[in-house]
Amino acid sequence: MYVERPKTRLTEKFLLLDLFEGLRVTWKNFWRPKVTVEYPEVKLEPSDRFRGMFRFSHERCIACKLCAMACPIDIIYIDVHDEQQEVDGKKKKVKVLDRFDIDVKRCMFCALCEEACPTTPKSIWLTTKTYELSTYDRGELYFNMQELEYWSVKPEFPTLDQIAKRAGLGQQDAIRKIDEGRES
Amino acid sequence: MLLMAVPVDDPMMNWLIWPTIKFVIAFAIVITVVAAFTLVERKVLAYIQVRLGPNRVGPHGLLQFVADPIKLLLKEDIIPSGAQRAAFFIAPMLPLIPAITVFAIIPLGPPPAFEITSINIGILLVLALTSTGVYGMILGGWASNNKFSLMGGLRSAAQMVSYEVPFALSIIGVLMIVGSLDLGKIVAYQEAHLWNVIPQFLGFFIFLVAMIAENNRAPFDLPEAESELVAGFHTEYSGMKFALFFLAEYAAMLVNSCLVVILFFGGWTLGMGGWGITTAVLQQWGWIGAILGGLIFFVKVMFFMVFYLFLRGTFPRYRFDQLMDLGWKWMIPLALVNIAVTGIVVLALNGGGA
Amino acid sequence: MSTLDPETMLNVTEMEVNFGPQHPATHGVLRVILKIDGERVIDAKPIIGYLHRGTEKLFENMNYPQCVPHTDRMDYVAAATNNLGYVEAIEKLMGITNQIPRRAQIIRVMLAELQRISSHLLWLATHAIDLGAMTPFFYTFREREEILDLFEDYCGARLTLNCMKIGGQPYDIDDKWLEKLAKFLSTFDAAVGEYEALLTNNRIWKRRTVGIGVISPEEAIDWGLTGPPLRGSGVNWDLRKALPYEIYGELDFEVPLGRNGDTYDRYLIRMEEMRQSARMLRQCAEKVKETTPGDLKAKISKVVRPPEGEVYHGIEAPKGELGYYVISDGKSQAAYRIHVRPPSFINLQALPAMLRGHLVSDLVALIGTIDIVLGEVDR
Repeated sequence: MYVERPKTRLTEKFLLLDLFEGLRVTWKNFWRPKVTVEYPEVKLEPSDRFRGMFRFSHERCIACKLCAMACPIDIIYIDVHDEQQEVDGKKKKVKVLDRFDIDVKRCMFCALCEEACPTTPKSIWLTTKTYELSTYDRGELYFNMQELEYWSVKPEFPTLDQIAKRAGLGQQDAIRKIDEGRES
Repeated sequence: MLLMAVPVDDPMMNWLIWPTIKFVIAFAIVITVVAAFTLVERKVLAYIQVRLGPNRVGPHGLLQFVADPIKLLLKEDIIPSGAQRAAFFIAPMLPLIPAITVFAIIPLGPPPAFEITSINIGILLVLALTSTGVYGMILGGWASNNKFSLMGGLRSAAQMVSYEVPFALSIIGVLMIVGSLDLGKIVAYQEAHLWNVIPQFLGFFIFLVAMIAENNRAPFDLPEAESELVAGFHTEYSGMKFALFFLAEYAAMLVNSCLVVILFFGGWTLGMGGWGITTAVLQQWGWIGAILGGLIFFVKVMFFMVFYLFLRGTFPRYRFDQLMDLGWKWMIPLALVNIAVTGIVVLALNGGGA
Repeated sequence: MSTLDPETMLNVTEMEVNFGPQHPATHGVLRVILKIDGERVIDAKPIIGYLHRGTEKLFENMNYPQCVPHTDRMDYVAAATNNLGYVEAIEKLMGITNQIPRRAQIIRVMLAELQRISSHLLWLATHAIDLGAMTPFFYTFREREEILDLFEDYCGARLTLNCMKIGGQPYDIDDKWLEKLAKFLSTFDAAVGEYEALLTNNRIWKRRTVGIGVISPEEAIDWGLTGPPLRGSGVNWDLRKALPYEIYGELDFEVPLGRNGDTYDRYLIRMEEMRQSARMLRQCAEKVKETTPGDLKAKISKVVRPPEGEVYHGIEAPKGELGYYVISDGKSQAAYRIHVRPPSFINLQALPAMLRGHLVSDLVALIGTIDIVLGEVDR
């Protein structure tokens, strides 16, 4: 089908009716309700499937490393070692997670890791409806296992001594520090 | 009224002191209106574009026009290397001075309270003063040491100069009907007969187009458009110098709106043919009448200022050669036709030879 | 260089001017070197590469499923059609094109047409604002917001969607989504009418776009243009009708064509395409109700390993023909080579030919009418 160019009658040309048509549209929209959402007093709620910040669940994770393989940017760092543990009276070989770190500053939130996770419900999920991830320090966006599990809906800004001490601590101390930070 | 307390025929009071006081008051009002208009522009444009404008500073953003000049005053004053310092310094002031001086001639309300001077060549003096606003643009473009600014400045100067002609020609019809150049007498004529927009609708339309083009406002704002190659004469200015250019533009808009209202829409009166709220009625009501007249004038002027904004928000802009085409090939012939037809009708109605 | 020297200042026969990479009107980082004589343009040379990110090289290092989020980022304005082209090319290589369940196909078409409307709305916004009309920008973004909400409800993201998988769809739609879609469609035609009331009959708009950037049909075919620049000149070639993919063969729609090949015709074509996309969406919303919910993936293994071979597959993206040329060596999980044929890159070649003889102010109109996205041009 051919697009039709509208024909202008002579009266339209001289009476400037086309310009008044445009002004009428503008006038109508002047009185319509405004679409501005006054952030940060009013925030829009993302949908249920919104891909936001990660959550991780240590007890559901089976340390299969499928998420690390699925990530297109390789930002999931997993270290696993095998251990002999007593489970229900029998000695079983169990995988123990040493390290599950995600470098969130390079993440593109594509959710391929969530798809690859074989457990039900998933051990890593992105539907936390959190998108306010900005921090003042780039190191804040490297989340280790405890932070991935224990951060609340908004990631908190750790104090300076937490940042300084995180480098040299083991896991238990890190958890204690984060808990202390949240209470203070 | 206060005027009654002073002997009326004292020349110093009548010709020097009272006009000076009134002009200072008018100057203060004009500067406040122009500064507040920056906020009105942003809010009205935003409302047209279904969004809220500035609404953080003050309730509903009403103190924004106070915050903006403070910010601009505190900004770093950058002078490009190679710029001519004296010209760079003077250029922003040049458009603003005539735009404000004109308010000594334009009456903002009914006499005797609002009339500063009554010059018998009023409208001619207004036209002459507003035409000198071009110098600031040319000098601003030249002094920036930037060939794009120079081109932009020359373009907008060419646009302003070429629309001066229809600007002046379109009001000749009004002058022929009224028979005087004095602005107060033009308003007095309109309240005794019809508002000039009715017999002179063609003149009104040409005046409207010419005044928008004179002000470099949309849809004729190519020289100051951002998406053009040439960035305009005020690119290199920062801080208060930039603010002065913009204040000059808004002051010129205000002058032109006042002119439209006085020449075509009856100024501060709401009456036609001797009926309605005319100057005599307003003078009978004393100082209430004066304020009422001023308010009526203000409302009419604001209508035209907001009309400028609606035009800016609605239409795309003309290309420069199309703009010049419109001015020289359409507006000037139409204005000449208007003069011819008006002349014939005036002569015929007056029985010839009057 | 001194600008105060009379000889250099008055010698203005031919000037070379840089329409730099940083400019509000170039829709990205495009640099155009113009040779101008006063106001007339004698020659123009677009220089690209400021947004090159090595996408095709990245594709060689990633598995086939991992490449899908990266295809989003080429034409970031219309991400779903990028995804669609890629997954269709891989499915064609694997030979499973007719095993995709019908519901997945209908959902794919719905997403692609929604994306076409969204891309054309953004085109209208930027084209109008380049030519000076500021308000269509805000009105179109009001409608675009609803489309982005629909995408967010479907796959969780608004711009870089990652909404398709090789072999089917990752998510299903439910009645709430279809209701939202119906609500959007009920107001959409009135909205398009509003934009047309603002621009189509407007004498200023017509003076800026009629007769600007005329391409004859032979020239258009010679340059390899596709999409609205080609159809604006009257050549009836739309991949949805000529080589139908997914369920386009069943849908009832028309392809708008222009007669003169100027900017105004391309504007009218894109407005009409938006209406036709809305028409297709209504038909798809009816058709999807007849399919079984949940039946979304073809029966293939999770590990995608296509056989050895090469394939080229093109789809009709909003900007033209988007093509993927995939070479697989049959053994590894990553492609040997994937080459993308971006429509904006090929369409941009016609810019100097269109611009010759026009004024400098027409350059922004022409960049807008070819509708380029630098992410696609540079990959």
